[in-house]
Amino acid sequence: MHLDTSTDPQVGYRPPGTLDAGSALQRYRGPFGKRHAAHLARRAGFGATPAEVDALVARGLDGALDAYLHPAEAEAALPEYPDAAVLYDNKKKYQATKLWYLERMLRTKHPLAEKMTLFWHGHFATSMAKVPPQLMVQQIDLFRARALGNFRALLLAVSQDPAMLIWLDNRFNVAAHPNENYAREIMELFALGLGNYSEDDVKAAARAFTGWMLDKNARFVYNEKAHDQGLKTFLGRTGPFNGEDVVAVIVEQPVHQRFICRKLLEYFVYSDPEPELVDGLAAVYALSGYDVAKTVGTILRSNVFFSPRAYRALPKSPVEFAIGTLRYLGFTAVPDDMPYWLSRMGQDILQPPSVKGWDGGPLWISTATLLARFNLVNKLVGSPALALTPDSLVAAAGGMNAENVLETIVAGALQDDVTSDVRQTLRDFLDSKNAAVPVPLGPENYQTKIRGALALALNLPANQLA
Amino acid sequence: MASRRRFISGSLGAVALGGALPGFVREAAFAQALPAAAGTADPANVLVVVQLAGGNDGLNTVIPYSDDAYHKARPTIRVTATNVLKLDDRVGFNPALAPLNELYKDGQVALIHGVGYPNPNRSHFEATQIWETASPTRPVSTGWLGRYLDRLERNPDGTNSFAGVTLGDTVPAALLAQHVDVPAIGALNAFQYNTGKDAASKAAAGTLYDGARPGQSPYLQLIEDTARAALHGGDLLRGKIAGYKTSVVYPGDAFAQQLQLAARIIGSDLGTRIVFVSIGSFDTHAGQRSQQDKLLGFFSKALVAFYKDLAEHGNARRVLTMTFSEFGRRVGENASSGTDHGTAAPLFAIGGGVKGGIYGQQPSLTDLDNGDLKFATDFRSVYATVLERWLGRDAVPIVGDGFPHVPFV
Repeated sequence: MHLDTSTDPQVGYRPPGTLDAGSALQRYRGPFGKRHAAHLARRAGFGATPAEVDALVARGLDGALDAYLHPAEAEAALPEYPDAAVLYDNKKKYQATKLWYLERMLRTKHPLAEKMTLFWHGHFATSMAKVPPQLMVQQIDLFRARALGNFRALLLAVSQDPAMLIWLDNRFNVAAHPNENYAREIMELFALGLGNYSEDDVKAAARAFTGWMLDKNARFVYNEKAHDQGLKTFLGRTGPFNGEDVVAVIVEQPVHQRFICRKLLEYFVYSDPEPELVDGLAAVYALSGYDVAKTVGTILRSNVFFSPRAYRALPKSPVEFAIGTLRYLGFTAVPDDMPYWLSRMGQDILQPPSVKGWDGGPLWISTATLLARFNLVNKLVGSPALALTPDSLVAAAGGMNAENVLETIVAGALQDDVTSDVRQTLRDFLDSKNAAVPVPLGPENYQTKIRGALALALNLPANQLA
Repeated sequence: MASRRRFISGSLGAVALGGALPGFVREAAFAQALPAAAGTADPANVLVVVQLAGGNDGLNTVIPYSDDAYHKARPTIRVTATNVLKLDDRVGFNPALAPLNELYKDGQVALIHGVGYPNPNRSHFEATQIWETASPTRPVSTGWLGRYLDRLERNPDGTNSFAGVTLGDTVPAALLAQHVDVPAIGALNAFQYNTGKDAASKAAAGTLYDGARPGQSPYLQLIEDTARAALHGGDLLRGKIAGYKTSVVYPGDAFAQQLQLAARIIGSDLGTRIVFVSIGSFDTHAGQRSQQDKLLGFFSKALVAFYKDLAEHGNARRVLTMTFSEFGRRVGENASSGTDHGTAAPLFAIGGGVKGGIYGQQPSLTDLDNGDLKFATDFRSVYATVLERWLGRDAVPIVGDGFPHVPFV
């Protein structure tokens, strides 16, 4: 069945309902239960186990937000770098670098910084298809260090980042032969959006970035001889601009402020946010002097973030889905084949399809990507590394009782976001009421049945939504 | 499908144009399949669309080797006249296209020069959208192939599940339709719900999704519809293609493997009319020769294997393969032995049903628009030709009026 929406005034994937623009970004003062805590954990991090949800609820709203925005706990002892021996092995280095990055997301104690690092990776989408893994690691570390810092400083640092200088060819950008690649994308994709600059602005910015190159050790170097010292007219201003000036002029543009705030709202709240909501956040962002922590903090504390319209309103990205599933299932390490599954799900980490990054939204969802999500889950529940075992679920449920096991799963995995029909199908599965040979849940079959039920619950539509 | 068609509008509004679209143009809904255009198109015909993603440089694909301006504009990356595979006294193929040249000599390759459109866009994203939606001046929510699929007669069971397929993990804009959900088959062995020996779990998954209810988020409907198609489609596909065997050995690269799967699907009674495949990394800003030549080699070797396989099963005449890329590249090389984003470029139509040869005008290398080639043939003329002469559908509601045919089929 396909709905005809030709007369539907709604555009895009914005949730139905209306926005109260006046109060949307005001502080949320409502209740804070398990659903709210799990919602916060999915958006500001990579999801939470039932125990972590309980801990967030116990902290209360302010305490829980504080735990994300200002984590007191020291970061976990994470590998700083993929094994140096592996990085020089052409067959293993890509896989090893991906696992290094995924491992950080699984084990971090600072989930919001890691979640913003992933945001910047998608935003400044750079790929190992062209950039050596060592420099990609350096770039991800840069994103993490500046994840919640000042955007102008981040944009400048990215403009001088060796991986980016290679990825968009600015290392070849010299006064005699300007290379426009970086100049175009900093405006189109990183900071302004199409339609907010002219081809002449691209040419002027390219000239301003001339001489921003790499030395022989792949470090940023300003090559004065290759820099075009002449006057440039860029976004209505004229001067002997360099790259730093271009960055400064860009962030002052109101269109930039709306551009970046719209993207943050689409990442944290819901698709196609109302212009009034974007404008409201853009004002916060501008007033803060481009402070990402203040801007993101405003989102996470807001009424609109905790509104029913934002609840399970976004499809999980494959990385969110994978890491969230691993966390819920109690994995303490990322399985070696996870980069393969992420590629199948449409998010080949550290290898985005183009400088535009992953389209995301509805394009996360295709027959192929959904099957990959399902089959990943089907495989994980049978893994020897599974910590949320049938035995532990039986213990948590207080005995080998289908009803109680089912409730433990749907509460822990889905915060009870399932319809009664779905509950009935899962109950039937555990008790085999509809099978040709009815076999109730028992000691001889609980391993298979509970793993199956766990997979079915995680493969429900609700679990595809963040 | 309803929820998918929202995507383009939302995405362009939010990301690309930086604001809500004033007066966003919605397309009329087409409730019923329109009658086929009068013509002699064989109803068994298939169209394979090959995307050369990243902006393939046309001038180093089909080389105007006799034009001094070409050699002057590209002192480092030019293909010298002695290396060109000459098609006539003016142009020839890049040597990496040697396998394709064999098909050309057999009269199975049409080369259409200088394909583009007015006011060309040089952004990868926007230009790809333009080519895939066939709408250069305004964003629309369906692709040109999606609009074709919307006009196919429905199967008696109400599904046309494999009429259009994409051999990748995501559905390209070209295949976004209003009423048809196009399966994305990234890899055959991954296109099924896999629970090993646990058949009960697989059966329960079908029940869960068949009984799911739409919820509040517009994404929920999309997920449920897509999941149902995936859960049932995987088994159907595997059953149908299980018996297909070939003696042709394909190259091992990903693109060749996709074409091998395309040949199996086309030859396996799934009612497939459209197959979309993509080969990427043509964005050769630096070090162009090694990169582009490698890719053109993958492309042409895979195509030759594909047509051998098709011929072995008597399908070569009914399969037309057409290439496209979001733009060609600048005439002059840059300082990094590469080329920047440009405009018009040649495209290929390949197959046993093609009238081989050269069509259209090679754009001048000296009469330029801002350093870029002026297009000679509108890409919608190529689409209209394929739609009307090959697929037997009226092109006007799909790509618009006023696009004369290019007589390569």
